[in-house]
Amino acid sequence: MPASPQQRTTVDLKALSLQQLAEIKQQLDQEIEHLSESFQKLRQAQAKFEECIVTVKKTSDSANEGKDILVPLTSSLYIPGKTTEIDTFMVDVGTGYYVEKDSKSTILFFTNKVNTLKKNLIDLETVVQGKSQNLRAVEEILQEKMQANQANAPQ
Amino acid sequence: MSSIKESEANYVNPRGIPQAPFVEKVEDYVQSRDQVESILKSFQDMLQKYKFMEMSTLRREAGLKEKIPDIQKTLDMVKFLDASCNTDGELESITTSYELNDTLYAKAKITPRDTVYLWLGANVMLEYTNEEAIDLLSSKLKSAKDSLESCKEDLEFLRENITTVEVNTARVYNWDVQKRKEDREAAELK
Repeated sequence: MPASPQQRTTVDLKALSLQQLAEIKQQLDQEIEHLSESFQKLRQAQAKFEECIVTVKKTSDSANEGKDILVPLTSSLYIPGKTTEIDTFMVDVGTGYYVEKDSKSTILFFTNKVNTLKKNLIDLETVVQGKSQNLRAVEEILQEKMQANQANAPQ
Repeated sequence: MSSIKESEANYVNPRGIPQAPFVEKVEDYVQSRDQVESILKSFQDMLQKYKFMEMSTLRREAGLKEKIPDIQKTLDMVKFLDASCNTDGELESITTSYELNDTLYAKAKITPRDTVYLWLGANVMLEYTNEEAIDLLSSKLKSAKDSLESCKEDLEFLRENITTVEVNTARVYNWDVQKRKEDREAAELK
């Protein structure tokens, strides 16, 4: 006998009508979709930060001072120039603030961000799993009820 | 269809969108109740097409709205480089920050020069002299602004026509309901 879901008030799933079960199923479906979307977005953000770390490491490598590069001035305008102050970077720390950091602190900053995201992702995953379990339980009971209805109807 | 003016029925807006005919007198379109369904269906089809065109025009407009500030920025940049190139006796270098990544900027030194590189998309980048670049960007900006204007015009025209078709559908439907009532009353009288 599937146990009633723990997060809600302990309503026995079997006591619910067919319609209520269908509603709960829909709600759970939506929640799982939302959470999966957020999960994807967090993953993407994490990948971007990891990319930043790699870029910083490559650029601040001392062999690159004074090297010729094509500098992007806008999304479609480039100008040849030379790298300068390769150990200085400006990081967008949010809410319109940019902080100048050297390569070590920049790498540290991004590593911290990646770790925070990792933790959030793990938490999110647990929540999604819990919800899918609930969804499966609801689906099971829904099936049982439908079969019971069909058995009763022909009589 | 005799009461519909010929010019109105065939009017096509500059981008080739046909004008929807307005149903002044339902009887001109529908002689009997059997035709009602096919007329309603054709109205629905028209509505679908108009709505589809509206969607694609909206998308085009949104894309243009994004591109225009970009082109404007690039144009201003090239003008600035051109100006600093021409006024300086000796060209002094400028230290600038450029975008390495979404949240990461790095420093670089540039010297104003008479050519710039423009990214044209589709993995194509060309070198232009400053004047050529300014000309190219100005004309791009102008055509983008013009397209935006015509998109706005189209959207208005489309919305008008969508309303017209919806009103038509309502009128034909109401006429049908009324006819049904009349027929039923006539049958009862017999």
